[in-house]
Amino acid sequence: MIEAQGLTKRYGSTTAVADMSFTVEPGRVTGFLGPNGAGKSTTMRMTVGLDAPTKGEVTVNGRRYVDHGAPLREIGVLLDAKAVHPGRTARRHLTAMAATHGISRTRVDEVIDIAGLASVADKRVGGFSLGMGQRLGIAAALLGDPQTLILDEPVNGLDPEGVLWVRRLARSLADQGRTVFLSSHLMAEMALTADHVIVVGRGRVLADAPVSDLIAAAHGERVRVASPHAERLEAVLRSQQATVVATGRDSLEVTGLSAAQVGDAAADAQVALHELTAIAGSLEDAYLQLTAEDVEFRSAPMDTHETDAMASQNEGGSR
Amino acid sequence: MSTTVLTKKAAPVGTTSTATGPVTLWRTVVAEWIKFVGLRSTVWTLVAMVVLLVGVSVLAAWGATTALVDAGPGQGNVAQYLSAGYQLAQLAVAVLGVLAMGGEYSTGAIRTTLATVPRRWMVLVAKAIVLGGVIAVVTLVSMVASYVATMPFHSTLGIELDFADPDVGRMLVGLPLYLVAISLLALGIGALLRHTAAGLTLVVGLLLVIENVIALVPLKLFDLVSPFLPMTAGSKVLFDSDTLAMIDEASTGANLTPWVSFGVLVAWAVTLLALAMVSLRRRDA
Repeated sequence: MIEAQGLTKRYGSTTAVADMSFTVEPGRVTGFLGPNGAGKSTTMRMTVGLDAPTKGEVTVNGRRYVDHGAPLREIGVLLDAKAVHPGRTARRHLTAMAATHGISRTRVDEVIDIAGLASVADKRVGGFSLGMGQRLGIAAALLGDPQTLILDEPVNGLDPEGVLWVRRLARSLADQGRTVFLSSHLMAEMALTADHVIVVGRGRVLADAPVSDLIAAAHGERVRVASPHAERLEAVLRSQQATVVATGRDSLEVTGLSAAQVGDAAADAQVALHELTAIAGSLEDAYLQLTAEDVEFRSAPMDTHETDAMASQNEGGSR
Repeated sequence: MSTTVLTKKAAPVGTTSTATGPVTLWRTVVAEWIKFVGLRSTVWTLVAMVVLLVGVSVLAAWGATTALVDAGPGQGNVAQYLSAGYQLAQLAVAVLGVLAMGGEYSTGAIRTTLATVPRRWMVLVAKAIVLGGVIAVVTLVSMVASYVATMPFHSTLGIELDFADPDVGRMLVGLPLYLVAISLLALGIGALLRHTAAGLTLVVGLLLVIENVIALVPLKLFDLVSPFLPMTAGSKVLFDSDTLAMIDEASTGANLTPWVSFGVLVAWAVTLLALAMVSLRRRDA
């Protein structure tokens, strides 16, 4: 279990983490989702005592990380694949870590096997690919057989087989009743791996909910509608307080009305419809909606799909 | 979709072989030892240190015999030949010291180290113990090798290892102590600067360039400062009484006794390590 209370980290005038409070519960995979620069890594670094919070506190299993006598036993952590001296072999890196906690060499061999590193264990880490480095980092996280795991972008650089492996591993660890906290900026990965998601942006918690709830809440109900008189239909729907985005020459995306209401409105206005589809939300939609205003580095929109509801409303209003 | 099916195939994670205990200083020392010997760079730097210590000893003894062809046997003792290579060997020692912490920061390995041993003082103390222990042992081994390698010249030079001479005991103990102190000073600098290249530049610059320049330039101020610089101060334990008398005569600054002078070097090392400890505990990794 990881508990953050009013966690804040400032670097000079930059606030990386602003008053974050959340609880990561055991027995499920909790995703930590947010754009780059949202404060995910900083939060994780504070959790394992590498960075000191400016304010607030974060505890692991009820204690600050530094107050644990045998921290590897409590919490395993993968921060980045580069936290290893490139001149050492994978086995030696793990053996040295194990020595600090009196962990046996048998366990070192075990985690090497679990991570699928047996064939490269005696090679120097400097020659490892990013994926192999990630596997070594996960092996290190498992070393003390901890109750809590923190994995920062664990699938970064892994091949499809490795991604699947991480996904299974996270699932099986959570099923054993452990706390699994993994960060990602990849929504699709989160939708597949996590049960629960904490979404962050600009150092703040934007949402803390089960994945299913988030998806359900995304855009409420969205309806795609096509009509040869799309402009007329748009005006009609707007008059009923709906949010309308033109997604093509003849098609609109409507939020705020059900498919039935859109159909009735079209019938009343005598506008012919060529398509009327209710669209299910996705975690991606939820995520984009939540983080729309919190992305630090934004690229120019390439297509209408990326435009969020707020932006399109403004667009509509200025037309 | 397929996650429930895949769960059954997931690798076993917890097993019986995961008995753990709390992190202790001794365990951290063991871990640092495993890390230390697991790097090629440390092994090769130690080899360089031995070669320099033994090689310069042999060269010095051999050079003295050729000089004596005209002058005839003179005064001297074996101990001064055993430590003849200290100036060059201390560079290898300084490299090891800087790399011990600086290398961890340069490579990012420090994050693993400090997440594994969150009581950070243990890391620095363990590194100091491993580094100091290795330097002391390797120096003693090198001195034995130097003694054996210079034996062919002993009779020609008319020298022997005379333990009755009070200088000899000091000089023999002095060399390992001097090099250990230099290694700890370098460890402190590496930990403070958190950067290998910067640390090496500073240590080598201080020991070789700054100290020599200050020793050579005949300024009153330099003369006053010079006896308190690390190498100048610490190396006094390596010289016999005649040499020390010459040094004291040439200097208008403080004339410290060998052990007090060595204490100045120890003070440098301790101060830098203390600053490094404060920095390690306060700053984010």
